[in-house]
Amino acid sequence: MHEVALARGLLEIVERTLTPRDRRVVRVNVSIGAAAGIVSESLTFAFLAIAEGTRAQGAELVITTVPARSRCRACNTSYAFEGLIGRCPGCGCLGGELQSGNEMVLQTIEVADV
Amino acid sequence: MCETCGCGVPSVHTIAVHERLLASNESIAEHNRLHLTTRKIFTINLMGAPGAGKTTLLEAMIRGRSRSGRFVVIEGDQATDRDSARIRLAGASAYQIETGLGCHLEATQIHHALHHLEFAGGETLILENVGNLVCPALFDLGEHLRVLVTAPTEGVEKPLKYPPIFRAADIVLLNKCDLIPYLSFDSGEWTEYVRGVNPRAAIFELSAATGDGLAAWLAELERRRFGFLGSDASVP
Repeated sequence: MHEVALARGLLEIVERTLTPRDRRVVRVNVSIGAAAGIVSESLTFAFLAIAEGTRAQGAELVITTVPARSRCRACNTSYAFEGLIGRCPGCGCLGGELQSGNEMVLQTIEVADV
Repeated sequence: MCETCGCGVPSVHTIAVHERLLASNESIAEHNRLHLTTRKIFTINLMGAPGAGKTTLLEAMIRGRSRSGRFVVIEGDQATDRDSARIRLAGASAYQIETGLGCHLEATQIHHALHHLEFAGGETLILENVGNLVCPALFDLGEHLRVLVTAPTEGVEKPLKYPPIFRAADIVLLNKCDLIPYLSFDSGEWTEYVRGVNPRAAIFELSAATGDGLAAWLAELERRRFGFLGSDASVP
């Protein structure tokens, strides 16, 4: 359940970013790589639970999945894949260099003044 | 409130953040790394599944070390101080972190533990992470080297089933190699899977129980430590 620790990190950034004028968080937009090993449902559940009593209580967590891409070490083909590890469609080689799909970024926070 | 007509509909605005979720852990990890680097304390994040033999390997390393500097160990377990007691018995100083509900170590726990340990400078610090193949992959502790301990009893397909932690490792140790004759474990196939997930990791096969392969791993550790120390390799 590393999602609880991630949700804690997320809330920490939200609280540090808000100004006194920002009364209530409406929505939090994050992007998570498809190969990062994060379960979206668990992250949402954890965020909802720990945001209680803060200005982010009841905020919607919108998770955008960043597709995973890998570059084959053998034939240099760049390809998209599903799951945590890919196989090159060109030569059948396993894995390779991960180009995207490992990110976990808080992009924007939408806040209301009442 | 709506500033145009004061109608009571909340005005919503967007704040751009673009910050990594683990930014806070990463900044504490960077603080740890800077402190450890300044003190010339070569630090290893030792990860692996429960029962991979991490503590047994550490005992063997402490007893069999040649010139890798004095070992200091920070132990992470969900409960008990049994592992730190084993480490002290083997001859190194140790500090135990009981993580309770936590399934991995975080940089702030290491920062706290560093205040409880005495260093002369030049030691090799080993952070034995909580036995877990998922969560520790995500959390930088401030280490200089990430080492994954795995065993043939875990099966040949482990790298395919848990790619992030194999991807995060600088070195993969296959422990318990003395058991291979009793298992259906093809180490060639296993190596191919590790290479597929992480082509840059160095792989060592050894047995902490019999001592086979330990010297090669300790020599590599010494080489990495000297690389870390740079020109000032005279530190004890």
